[in-house]
Amino acid sequence: MHTGSDLLMIELGLVVLGLAIIARIARRIGLPALPMYLLAGLTLGEGGLVELPASEDFIETGAEIGVILMLLMLGLEFSPHELVVNVRRSTLAGLTDLVFNFAPGLVAGLLLGFDPIVAILLGGVTYISSSGIFAKLVADLERIGNHETPVVLGVLVIEDLAMVLYLPIVTGVLIGDSALSTAVTVAVSLGAVIAILGIAYVLGDRLSNIALSHSSEALLLTLLGITLLVAGLAGRLNLSTAVGAFIVGVALSGDIASHARGLLLPLRNLFAAVFFVFFGLQVDIRLIPDVAAVAIAIAAVSAVTKIATGWIAAERAGIGTPGRVRTGAALIAHGEFSIVIAELGIAREDDLGALAATYVIVLTIVGALLYQFSDTMTSVSLNMRSRTP
Amino acid sequence: MRKVTETDLPGVGVRFDLETNSGRVLGVVVHQSGRRDLVIYDSRDVDRTSESVKLSEDEGHTLGEILGGSPVLERLDDAIHRLEDLVISWIKISSKSSLAGQTLAEASLRARTGAGVVALVTDSGSIPIPGGADRLEPGDTAVLVGMPSAVKAATRLLTRATSD
Repeated sequence: MHTGSDLLMIELGLVVLGLAIIARIARRIGLPALPMYLLAGLTLGEGGLVELPASEDFIETGAEIGVILMLLMLGLEFSPHELVVNVRRSTLAGLTDLVFNFAPGLVAGLLLGFDPIVAILLGGVTYISSSGIFAKLVADLERIGNHETPVVLGVLVIEDLAMVLYLPIVTGVLIGDSALSTAVTVAVSLGAVIAILGIAYVLGDRLSNIALSHSSEALLLTLLGITLLVAGLAGRLNLSTAVGAFIVGVALSGDIASHARGLLLPLRNLFAAVFFVFFGLQVDIRLIPDVAAVAIAIAAVSAVTKIATGWIAAERAGIGTPGRVRTGAALIAHGEFSIVIAELGIAREDDLGALAATYVIVLTIVGALLYQFSDTMTSVSLNMRSRTP
Repeated sequence: MRKVTETDLPGVGVRFDLETNSGRVLGVVVHQSGRRDLVIYDSRDVDRTSESVKLSEDEGHTLGEILGGSPVLERLDDAIHRLEDLVISWIKISSKSSLAGQTLAEASLRARTGAGVVALVTDSGSIPIPGGADRLEPGDTAVLVGMPSAVKAATRLLTRATSD
């Protein structure tokens, strides 16, 4: 007997196995798997080698869950208190980062003749570095003790928080039809985000205790239920679903947060991979040759502005030259959130998807390599300088 | 003297740095999970980890004890070497003891039993060589020194109700 669900399983099985092979290769060559997941998605679906008629709907739902879980896990990393302390300490570095790195995408978008809102999305794509890729690199290379690491983390936390304000704004603008209704949507959603964060700041511990359970099964179901519900409600209110999930993560702190991280990690890994494939599916690979040159040019500008951002932030923190280069290199990789932002505008502008995919693939690989080998490069150049009389 | 600095690592934990007199920098990263990383920094690029060793919470405690432990322990160690006939005993002060809550002067343990209190260990830290105004709070630990019979008598006073 052949039914639609047989085909669905076969397609899904092949896609997930393909991702498994990619993850193994990535591990072997010491690069992040994310750009390769994107590439895999590009070769499938519209304009690709194989279409996935049976599983596309399922993959789409899975991708949405992937975004929600990524933001939930990100929120779980931070307590409301930590966020407040960190914003006070890293404001200046955060502002430099915003000015230096939002501008290239925004300007490029306007020059390419995109809608202003699409240009703003492209600004978001170039602004936000990948905290996920940095976390993985810093653990693999055992650099958590390095003195520049808190500087990088400080900048990344500000970026993540900026996302929490940015996402509802762009979501509001994309949905609103008149200037007035857009302004109202944006004001309401920002008000809601700030109110919820305020409640989480005051009541976080109590909420966490209510949700805590000694059964990991009960805890997992509680967490998933709350997160999907809040994310869905946030979406209903024209806030972004991703921001709803992030706020749930921030509100939960203490014991429950550390249990939750362990429980949710495997789910997050699966659905995040599905999200990157889904993004690739939506992008027509035939568009890539047309946008590749532009994407690489923007990527080159971003690499320079991110290094400058890192250099300045690290210098202010009293870090030496090699550490400043490492800080900059650490910020180059763009990843999950650039794709989350580009996804919002893919319906408005076909080229945005192809552009963002190419940009992220290039910068992630370049960033990971630079961060890994920056010490070798700095010491070579320092030695050369000291040898020249 | 000692230069210890503390740095927050958002989402990860806390890092402590110690600069030694010889100019090397050591670091300890305390993860939220309880894991510790012992970090030795490069002598040429002091911001760079040249060696990083993962320690479980237990291994961290063990290493801490080997490296010197608390000042109280060091002091006691010293005392044990010099006064070999004496007994040193760690006694948890019971809430049933009639001395619970009294100051050392009020309790006058040394006059009554011959054993002296050389340290008090509380939840928030330790009081080495406490004075007459320090209190014997129930739940804290008193470190007693004296001849075996004296320490035994003092232990009785600190752990049992004295109405018997």
